[in-house]
Amino acid sequence: MRLLRLISWQYVRKHLLRTVLTMAGIVLGVAVFVGMHTANQSVLSAFNKTVDRIAGATQLQITAGESGFDEEVLERVQAVPGVRVAVPVIEAVVNLNLKSQGNILVLAVDMTGDRGLRDYDLEEGDDTVIEDPLVFIAQPDSLMVTREFASANGLVINSKITLAAMDGPRTFTVRGIMKSSGLTSAFGGNLAIMDIYAAQKVFGRGRKFDRIDLAANEGVAVPDLQKQLSGMLGAGYEVESPSARGKQFESLSSVYGMLANITSLFALFIGMFIIYNSFAIAVTQRRSEIGIVRALGATRGQIQTLFLTESAILGLIGAGVGLLFGLLIARAISASLGNFLGEIYGVAQKADEVSSDPRLLFGALVMGVVTSVIAAWIPARAAAGVDPVQALQKGRYQQLSAGENRVRRQVAAGLFVVVFFCLFFAQNRVIFYSGYFLTVIAGLLLVPTMALWLSRAIRPVLKFLRPVEGTLAADSLIQSPRRTSGAVSALALSIALVISLGGMARASYNSIDEWMRIALNPDMFLTPTQNITDRSFRFPASFAEEIRQIPGVKYTQVVRNARILYKGNPVMFVSLDVANLRPESYLPAIQGDSKTMYRLAAEGKGFIVSDNFAELYKVKYNEPLVLNTPNGRLALPVVGIVRDYSDQKGSVLLDRAVFVKYWNDDSINAVRVYLNSDTPIATMKARIEEKVAGKTRLFIFTNQDLKTYIIKITDQWFGLTYIQLAVAVLVAILGIINTLTVSITDRRRELGVLQAVGALRSQVRGTIWLEAIAIGVIGLVVGLFFGSVALYYSLEMSARDIAGLWLDYTYPWGMAAGLFPVILGAALFAALGPAEQAVRGGLVEALEYE
Amino acid sequence: MISLSSVSKRFDGKRQVIALDAVNLHLEKGEMVSLVGPSGSGKSTLLNLIGGLDRPSEGDIRIDGTLLRGISDDELTRIRRDKIGFIFQFFNLLPTLSCLENVSLPLHLRGWPAAKINDRARELLSLVKLEKRLDHLPEELSGGERQRVAIARALSVYPPILLADEPTGNLDSNTGVEILGLIRELHERLGATVLIVTHDRGVAESCPRQIALKDGHIVMDKKG
Ligand SMILES: Nc1ncnc2c1ncn2[C@@H]1O[C@H](COP(=O)(O)OP(=O)(O)O)[C@@H](O)[C@H]1O
Ligand SMILES: [Mg+2]
Repeated sequence: MRLLRLISWQYVRKHLLRTVLTMAGIVLGVAVFVGMHTANQSVLSAFNKTVDRIAGATQLQITAGESGFDEEVLERVQAVPGVRVAVPVIEAVVNLNLKSQGNILVLAVDMTGDRGLRDYDLEEGDDTVIEDPLVFIAQPDSLMVTREFASANGLVINSKITLAAMDGPRTFTVRGIMKSSGLTSAFGGNLAIMDIYAAQKVFGRGRKFDRIDLAANEGVAVPDLQKQLSGMLGAGYEVESPSARGKQFESLSSVYGMLANITSLFALFIGMFIIYNSFAIAVTQRRSEIGIVRALGATRGQIQTLFLTESAILGLIGAGVGLLFGLLIARAISASLGNFLGEIYGVAQKADEVSSDPRLLFGALVMGVVTSVIAAWIPARAAAGVDPVQALQKGRYQQLSAGENRVRRQVAAGLFVVVFFCLFFAQNRVIFYSGYFLTVIAGLLLVPTMALWLSRAIRPVLKFLRPVEGTLAADSLIQSPRRTSGAVSALALSIALVISLGGMARASYNSIDEWMRIALNPDMFLTPTQNITDRSFRFPASFAEEIRQIPGVKYTQVVRNARILYKGNPVMFVSLDVANLRPESYLPAIQGDSKTMYRLAAEGKGFIVSDNFAELYKVKYNEPLVLNTPNGRLALPVVGIVRDYSDQKGSVLLDRAVFVKYWNDDSINAVRVYLNSDTPIATMKARIEEKVAGKTRLFIFTNQDLKTYIIKITDQWFGLTYIQLAVAVLVAILGIINTLTVSITDRRRELGVLQAVGALRSQVRGTIWLEAIAIGVIGLVVGLFFGSVALYYSLEMSARDIAGLWLDYTYPWGMAAGLFPVILGAALFAALGPAEQAVRGGLVEALEYE
Repeated sequence: MISLSSVSKRFDGKRQVIALDAVNLHLEKGEMVSLVGPSGSGKSTLLNLIGGLDRPSEGDIRIDGTLLRGISDDELTRIRRDKIGFIFQFFNLLPTLSCLENVSLPLHLRGWPAAKINDRARELLSLVKLEKRLDHLPEELSGGERQRVAIARALSVYPPILLADEPTGNLDSNTGVEILGLIRELHERLGATVLIVTHDRGVAESCPRQIALKDGHIVMDKKG
């Protein structure tokens, strides 16, 4: 400890800036980790709270996927002896087109029984309305809103709100305003209560309910009741506690959590390099000091402990700072995450407070310290190995010896052989990931060699550009491969990441484009919802027929898609009238034969599944897919596997007849309209609107609208991953600053001489800038090369474990070219500070500097 | 050519050091002057101030009529570029550059065309008798050879002023004599004003004008 104070503290004080920069990687990694996970947890807990509030005293909920179930189920459930109260619910998301609101969740209930479960604490108004629920029901245009919503929109009792219902516009009357508490704080007050039988008509749900909420009689064990109900209703129904619904939401946000992990791991990994680099440099710079301490009697163990303790303290401080930053950014992230996940639920979920799990915070601290200690391990051993006699002899800094470099190359070559064999057994997950890991290690081992070669290669270029500044910049890199390779590694890693993500994005866009061309070829899409992915409102089955009769319509195709639980996960099921599908809309088969599979599907003899579904749920071609539906077990073979991007977690196509039969649901989400080629879209739009006007809620999307929308969603998805790039580039910049800061210390005398013989300050700055640019170029070249390998592994990884999407390998050349100005700009930016520092120091001291 | 009036230099460290104390000095164009004094007497400080490597705490310095006070770092550098050649005790060659490149350095910095630089650098290296060592790196040369490269570098722009801080301090006595001979020869051929710090009595006395410093004061200024 005393040693630490005497030696390390002095050094840290002298190199404060560098120490701070060294911690930056840890700070960023921990901040991202804590920030993203805290945000995720906060949003989830807010969502769970919302679910709780909406659930009220509900103990069990009965659902049957998104399609709901018939009214008669309610009677059967109510007849079960242990059930104290069972009430039906429909949930729908509506945009009321009011000034201050986005979407609002409508909870449609049966007022007669519902107050046995939920407390609608009304604050004002005609209390008789709810005192006698019959009055509420007798007036099916009744609506209850929250205090927050009412205030925001200037609503009072008896205010009217017009809503475009499935059967034309309907006017609702506000008959109750709920006090701010409990239920009303769900979704930040964006909640309204409506009569369920009115809702069936408004949303086009037929005589169906989404859900039954129930509570058991006193003395009845809930798990027993749950079993009893499950047994009675069959496997097609889910009987769960309300909190189980939060779990489903969690599974949807799991991709996000994974992204958070990858990002923070990456930042930490790069941070590790920066720490390694700093410590390696520090050990060489402090050689004589170490020699003295050793000569005075310190053991090797003590020296090693000294450096490891230094790194642990550094890691702890870095992690601590990262933690604080993380909690700060968590708030911002949770807002955007709430919106992002809100898109899935329909209503944005706000996290009122950012709550952090102490275990998460502790884990983050440990992570920071461990990363730092691992990074300092090798330099600490090198320090322990310093020979006191040699170290005390004055001389130049120990440099990365040619021998050491040769050993690195040999190890790398050995690893590549192993990696090569790994590729042959890549079906095995462990071997695949080991292969990836070893490739990264081998690549990193080669960085010093590559950096050296590249530095030599660009020396003539730099010399040609700027005879003095260029040559000296290149020489600086050639002289200190250890100093250079740390920054180059960090930079190359982040560039490799950019390339692999960019490549994935490009591949995705290409595939999605191709898919849209085939699968989304209708001229128009008619939906009852403003948002194409929302399914709250539905057309009646007869609607398509009405449209077909409009002159200019060639034919129509009806779509009903719904998330249905498959093995506990909400999977997108798409039902179409497959027989009516034209061959030009057939997706090419990855497995199976395109024509045959559509024929079989049309005959109701099979499912066509997307490749990501098959991959994620390990479903095989020709093997049966078993589903529990409200009408019993449905087992059909998978007759074909196609590439389909309807949903990130995979999709299943089945014939409409099968869907209607097993789910008792003949409603329609969307009508795809094909037009005769001679009628302009605008004319057709007008004709359809005229025919439907005032009768049905309708939104028309042209083919172009939809494509734009899908591209936008894809952009958003990749936009999220670009956060990762920003982090990576930032860390790389810090790496360059760190390296240059060391470089100007090492080159102080040289820079002094340069000024003494007449270099202007701009010329001194120039050489630092050129050094930064050279590091940037080398990092780019190495990184673009690494990127080509990383892209391969990323595509494999996404196919195997993330999205189950197989994408073609295409190197993103455009992006690679675009990276040059970005990275070189960043490098120049990184060089600004060090360059200023280089011209600021006293010349006399620099010249005497030993 | 060079004139100092009441120039003082203080270093404010933990303890304040007055390295030069109100020094007045005037050197004519073409003079060759030696500067002696015990270690720590302020010789290097004086040279650094004249060469514009550092600025005085008080007093005025004029080089060729230009007052150094109040001008920017870059203007100072320009004066150094055009008027002054430096020779250091520790040579201060750049280790990664060859002899030719080291000598070319100041010329490149002035933006001369490549061909002209090459001619001049070769000319100077042959003047210091190193025409056979053009592509050697400094570490491949002996101490005397390195100092000759440093001299060639200092003279590469034909500076009117040559400042040498113990140029023979790191050399054996024979080589020292050789180097001094060279400096004197160059002084005569190029007509530069030379100020040379030395510990060698013989060298000092061979200069037409001798100055001695002690504790930051000029204690002797002898001509002839
Ligand atoms: N950068 C500096 N910081 C503090 N003191 C200095 C510095 N440079 C020189 N000195 C002090 O100024 C005095 C004169 O130094 P210097 O000119 O180098 O002497 P000489 O060259 O005659 O040996 C000495 O006492 C020295 O310690
Ligand atoms: Mg001196």
